[in-house]
Amino acid sequence: MFERLPLPSQFDRIIVTGTTVVALVGLPILIVLLVLLTAGQISGAELVFWMASAVIVAGALGAVLVPNVVHAALALVATLLGVAAIFLLLATEFIALVQVLVYGGGVVILLLFGLMLTNAADDPVVTDGSQKPFAALVGVLLIGIFAAAALDAEWAGDVANIVPFELFGERLFRDFLVPVIVVAILLDIALTGAFVNARRERVEEPAADEEVRA
Amino acid sequence: MIPLENFLLLSAVLFGIGFYGVLARRSAILILISVELMLAGVSINFVAFASYLDPEAFSGLIFALFVITVAAAEVGLALGIVLRIFRERRTANVDAIDELKW
Repeated sequence: MFERLPLPSQFDRIIVTGTTVVALVGLPILIVLLVLLTAGQISGAELVFWMASAVIVAGALGAVLVPNVVHAALALVATLLGVAAIFLLLATEFIALVQVLVYGGGVVILLLFGLMLTNAADDPVVTDGSQKPFAALVGVLLIGIFAAAALDAEWAGDVANIVPFELFGERLFRDFLVPVIVVAILLDIALTGAFVNARRERVEEPAADEEVRA
Repeated sequence: MIPLENFLLLSAVLFGIGFYGVLARRSAILILISVELMLAGVSINFVAFASYLDPEAFSGLIFALFVITVAAAEVGLALGIVLRIFRERRTANVDAIDELKW
């Protein structure tokens, strides 16, 4: 029955592998967190934070390490949805909604289009450069610098405050009106530029070919 | 409550992973994906600061909104350029694109 389904041959293998990885890595984390939650060690918000962090970091690692480009783009979706969950946790529903709509709906679809249009059939897996070790070194050093700076400082606030929608819109369109207009013009220019760049010039030859064939 | 440092560390890790991707990946579109990771890390930082430290003015939320908008514009324009290059050169590998004029 499975042979009759119009699926790529590696589809079920991907599902089996992915489910196994998620079960082996995700389930212990989830069980430990649930035990801590029932024992009263962590609150529900912290449970959500750690789960979202696990999804974000795993998705980010997948996006930069997986050789198959389409899988990398799908890992990016997991990361961006996890970031939306973090925004919800920070009590900013509007940014979370915009994140899901713009990234999940628009940017990732554009990226997938780009991947499929530029990935020639003979080169489905783009090999990474030889500078991988140096890149890893720089990335780890960067994380270390940021972590040291964040842990070294004394932060005043310790509670995430809720910003009401009305205040947000008022501030955006009253105090930040000029930046909003500038960003609107930027979007217009960027999309026009993308269209002009990606457009095909008109070619005259195909008509002649058809006449010859006819 | 979750301390602010947790969000800062998460955004630092996300930014570092994205930076590694920008340096290590060779396909132009995969580099774009890594840039998106870095921008997501920056957005977490902005929103966390606005929500914890600046609840009256919350400029960080506005900046996060602008980051998302500019990222969308950037992806659209960059994909147009990559498609153009791919049509001329039949490759999207940034190591193979090393001329200013052809």
